Amino acid sequence: MYTGSSREIIGKWEKKNRVVYPPQLPGEPRRPAVIYHCRREIKYSKDKMWYLATLIKGMSIDQALAQLQFNDKKGAKVIREVLLEAQELAVTKYNVEFKSNLYIAKSLTGKGQYLKKIRYHGRGKFGIMEKVRCHYFVKLVEGPPPPPEPPKTGFDQAKEYVQQLRNRTIINAL
Amino acid sequence: MEGAESLLNPIRLAQSSLVVPVRTKKRLILPPRVKTKYTTPEEQKEKMRASGIVIPHEKLERSITLACTASIFDPYIPPEGDARLSSLSKETLKQRAVQLKQSTISQLAIRKVKQYDPNFSSKTFPEMAQKIFIEAHDCLTNFNKDKLHSLVTERCYPEMVRGNRYKTIRWSFVESLEPPRTVQIRHFTMMNKDNLYGQVTVRMHTRQTVVIYDQFGRLMYGAEDVPKDVLEYVVFERHLVNPYSSWRLHGKIVPSWAPPKDPTY
Repeated sequence: MYTGSSREIIGKWEKKNRVVYPPQLPGEPRRPAVIYHCRREIKYSKDKMWYLATLIKGMSIDQALAQLQFNDKKGAKVIREVLLEAQELAVTKYNVEFKSNLYIAKSLTGKGQYLKKIRYHGRGKFGIMEKVRCHYFVKLVEGPPPPPEPPKTGFDQAKEYVQQLRNRTIINAL
Repeated sequence: MEGAESLLNPIRLAQSSLVVPVRTKKRLILPPRVKTKYTTPEEQKEKMRASGIVIPHEKLERSITLACTASIFDPYIPPEGDARLSSLSKETLKQRAVQLKQSTISQLAIRKVKQYDPNFSSKTFPEMAQKIFIEAHDCLTNFNKDKLHSLVTERCYPEMVRGNRYKTIRWSFVESLEPPRTVQIRHFTMMNKDNLYGQVTVRMHTRQTVVIYDQFGRLMYGAEDVPKDVLEYVVFERHLVNPYSSWRLHGKIVPSWAPPKDPTY
């Protein structure tokens, strides 16, 4: 049984968890806890994973877990595991009080290391097959999810247009 | 003479190893061997023995020095209601304190310890112990690992430091309400009969302030500038046989009747 080599280099995303903030003064509002978690070298395409990553962007963690549970893609299972791991870490290590009080601030995919293999075609032709792998990064922040931005109405667009007209300056005039 | 020097040049003795750069790509996973004659390690060993390749059996030996014991032997059982205002008169309390000191095992232990450390005295030791205690906690707040290792035994160090890597701790010692007292002395041997360790329990009634902030600067435990009265039974240990050892913090005995701790936020 042979397994892939473990990564010796600690990535930038993991290092983001090592930031220590100075103690807050009693008058300041409570700083929300931030948890950076990732999984490396997932055997899945980064483009296919991207659809799932953008699906859960901005959702609360419970909603995201529910959506991924009933999604048929292979990456959904992996992302669900990552989110559950991150939730566990938040409660035990990062002093988060309620495990549901988290939302997904950032959800990204990245390219992992690819392997190359030969795919034999007819007539002596061949193609180079790429065995594709990806990374998945997630940033959880404590607190209720931020409200979604309201869609831009026609009135807003009209206001912007009028403001642009007002910003014009007439050169060489009084 | 110059010719002789060039003959003695150590570079000549080194084998001429040609480093031929081979153009290979770094492979992550090797593909499985197709024609394997032997797979199990036993078969592999037999084949190697038959072919004549000898691998010298390296003895994995590493000497370990035990500088501290693993736990508090024969822990001191503090009497109930030690620091409470009880209906007993002061005299009986004093008598009890004196009795504890004069127990036979403690006397034997003092004699043993004085064998190896003639300067040891159970009356001056508590002051020194308190100084070590304060210094150790100050090192904790500054995360001065090197100094902390010299003030605290290896058994106590992980207990003190676990989970504190990304936290900010502020600790200050306000005053000592009662002078510290040696309460129990024991000596123990580990492995051989000659390997002696001495453990001294000191009773400290002090006033301290503790504030712990977590990784994001939020208050986790304690409050700023709120001194609390603390009754502690602190155990110090020393590897007596080693002449360069010193008395170090080994652990704390928390009695079961102690008041409950503040909640963590």
